[in-house]
Amino acid sequence: MTHVLPHLLNGLSLGLLFALIALGFMLIVGVMELINLAHGSLFALGAYFAMVIVAPDVAWLGAAGEAWLALPLSVRYVLAILVAPLLVAVVGMGLELCMRRTYGRKAEYGLLLTFGAALVIEETIRLVWGPSERYLQVPQAISGAFLFAGLVYSKYKLFAALFAMAAIALVWLLLERTPYGAIIKAGAHDSEMVRALGINLTRLRLLVFGLGAGLAGFAGIVLTPIWGLRPHVGIDAVIPAFLIIVLGGVGSFWGAVIGGILVGLAVGVTGAYAAEWSLLSMYLLLIAVVTVRARGLLGKKSALEA
Amino acid sequence: MALFEARGIHKRFGQQVVLEHVDLSFEAGRLSGIMGPNGAGKTTCFNVLTGRHRPDRGRVTLDGEDITGLSPDAIARRGIARSFQVMSLFDENTALDNLIVALPEVRARGFDMFRRLSADDAAADRASAVLARVGLAGLERRRAGDLAYGERRALEIGIALASRPRLLFLDEPTSGLGSESTARLAELVQDLKRDHSVVVIEHDMQFLFALADTISVIHWGQVIANGTPDALRENAWVRRSALGGAA
Amino acid sequence: MTKRVSSAGRWLPREMAVLLVALATLPLWIEPVGLYQYLGVEIAIWMIYGLGFNLLLGYSGLPSFGHGAFFGIGAYAFGLFQLWAFESLWLGILCAVFAAFVAGAVVACFLSHRRGIYFALMTIAFGQVFWFIAIKWHAVTGGEDGLLNIPRPALDVGLASAGLESNTALYCFVLAVLAAVLVLLWRLVHSPFGKVLQAIRQNEARARFVGYNVWMFKWTVFSLSAAIAGLAGSLFSMAQQSAYPDVISLHASGIIVMMTLIGGGFVSFWGPVIGVTVYFLARDVLGTLTETWLLWFGLMFVVAVLFKPEGIAGAWQEHVGAASGRSRARRALAGLLSTGRD
Repeated sequence: MTHVLPHLLNGLSLGLLFALIALGFMLIVGVMELINLAHGSLFALGAYFAMVIVAPDVAWLGAAGEAWLALPLSVRYVLAILVAPLLVAVVGMGLELCMRRTYGRKAEYGLLLTFGAALVIEETIRLVWGPSERYLQVPQAISGAFLFAGLVYSKYKLFAALFAMAAIALVWLLLERTPYGAIIKAGAHDSEMVRALGINLTRLRLLVFGLGAGLAGFAGIVLTPIWGLRPHVGIDAVIPAFLIIVLGGVGSFWGAVIGGILVGLAVGVTGAYAAEWSLLSMYLLLIAVVTVRARGLLGKKSALEA
Repeated sequence: MALFEARGIHKRFGQQVVLEHVDLSFEAGRLSGIMGPNGAGKTTCFNVLTGRHRPDRGRVTLDGEDITGLSPDAIARRGIARSFQVMSLFDENTALDNLIVALPEVRARGFDMFRRLSADDAAADRASAVLARVGLAGLERRRAGDLAYGERRALEIGIALASRPRLLFLDEPTSGLGSESTARLAELVQDLKRDHSVVVIEHDMQFLFALADTISVIHWGQVIANGTPDALRENAWVRRSALGGAA
Repeated sequence: MTKRVSSAGRWLPREMAVLLVALATLPLWIEPVGLYQYLGVEIAIWMIYGLGFNLLLGYSGLPSFGHGAFFGIGAYAFGLFQLWAFESLWLGILCAVFAAFVAGAVVACFLSHRRGIYFALMTIAFGQVFWFIAIKWHAVTGGEDGLLNIPRPALDVGLASAGLESNTALYCFVLAVLAAVLVLLWRLVHSPFGKVLQAIRQNEARARFVGYNVWMFKWTVFSLSAAIAGLAGSLFSMAQQSAYPDVISLHASGIIVMMTLIGGGFVSFWGPVIGVTVYFLARDVLGTLTETWLLWFGLMFVVAVLFKPEGIAGAWQEHVGAASGRSRARRALAGLLSTGRD
């Protein structure tokens, strides 16, 4: 048992991060019945925005940049973590505005559009920030390592898991304790009902897309110090995100959280024994679950379903 | 024995019981009607009988063969065809192609990947004949999506008819039609009655009372009355609904 | 009374003849116009891939986002056969087609009861599984580098034998395969099977109530499409003389969707042919002008999805319809593009 425990903990924290990645994806797929393949690109975009805010190119900004850089890293980092997701949310809303042309047409068009958007965002990132590996600076206070029960842990991974839990809790509060949440949940089951409630569906979609994109950006900022930052890092995010959603059940908040943690545990534990193959476990987990339960663990009947 | 029998059909969705101990039987060569108020379970009943939903309890037989819980395509291959209240066509295809795909001889060679379907003049002729019968002669090459509403209704029946069914289910065929089109449709159904066994769901009682040999009334998921139109005119529910007088 | 004569009936419709003549003469003009022979090989291979893929996307309405897997399986199977068994062109191709078919058949069992977005999701998941295996199973696949030094076996037809080492020779062979695929698929889309697929795309529920076992049709077309992707993959590994995991990635799987859609796969048999040509020309022409040609291609794709999901073939059909035959040449081209679906 003592051998397994660290791997379980590791898997759990990884699972929370996966759940964080899946949250924004879950909101969009739940309310809009749209698979947002641009989720990964928005994830990457968030990290790049944060990188720019934390360490802007001084040559461009002159004295103002110098002054900004003189501020402590922790201040810049906190600001980045607040502002960058908002910027990504704006990009996401722009995407939603384009998306409107596809509503009422075949669902595949939305999927194809987000795929095109993913390509465009990724190529734009490559154009602006270059193809090579970049770094996001993290304040001293949350980097480094610490000892616990005789084992070394990364301090940042602990904080990342805390960030993830905070985001999960906030989304839960939004869904369960605010009127908006009630609407979003209604939309998750039935757009007709949302319309019947007299809610402005157009604005709801815009907001949900913005929120989903913002969460993707936030996940990007949190994950980047662990995964590194490359233009195509998004692919590492979008794939687990939709695996988790299918696993947990489309449109289900707890499905996404539990799905994320399960995937994290599967990857973490297999990683300990067959590191090479650890990521394969999540696909196998998905195929196993979906073969038995077509709607995923907690999925409800959806219009997307065959 | 009747051509088609349903015995003790129960169906519930979640907490809601939609059909409760429904017994129905349809005789060969007859036109049987099903009527009842909206939400009484008529369409659900059709859906259970034609395989869209599996009944929770009960038995459905066609000519003595148990077809309970078979898939819609298996039921269709045994000779039951249906039309839909909500129009369900192959909109991008021509009217003729809509029917060709439904022909049993085309269905039998559905996995033929090599021979040209458009070279099959026999099939095209047969489909044309069905098209003429439902009153759409001359519209062979028109896209189904471009047809007028009444024409689409006729095509909806045509698709079901093209499969040369032993039993033809029509789900609210007059839905959305004006009085003139309804009259024309009544003529068509009258004509189909000569060589088909037909079951019709209708809310238009006048339509049904004029055409049906027997009628079953469904209310609250149960069959509350059964009989010839004349007998039913005396029925309490039919009278109370104040529509019997219209028939 | 309903005798209908159309190009759909011919073995070799006019537009196919035009295309094949253009492709057959390609070795004569490709270098004078500033391009190179190998480009022709690539285009012909991806046309095979795209035509097979469009059976799913355009004809059956099944958006597979993981089709690169079967292309890749074909490529690896061909390479492994040459490297592990013995050099043989026909057996290698047969092995590739069979491997891709089996993989497709197994995957299809998991997704033939799904449609739309759910179908797409599952294809992505399976595509990733294969991609992952290709990367991690070093002993067999060579990991990220892939299989190297795959020979181009000689073309053996009974008594005669011809080497395929030169790109021109390989091109001629690939073109012959493409011609065969074109003819057979043209037959297929006009056969009862093809018509049933199109009926299922338009209205799956009705197709079922008319008596078609929709699951079986989806399974068959998916496996068949996978086999064709495998065929293209085997030719690709011959052309590249290697097989590598890139072609299985989500990115590569998405590109074939883009090509098919931009060309007009939703409305025309010729969609993938046009789309593949446009893609490779964009890559080589835009690519010499700007590093970020993929950005522009992506934008073009987004614009196509937003404003013209019928793609280039669809735009042509409309344009010529609007001009209502002002010129004969235009009418001829319209006919050329529209007959795919009659």
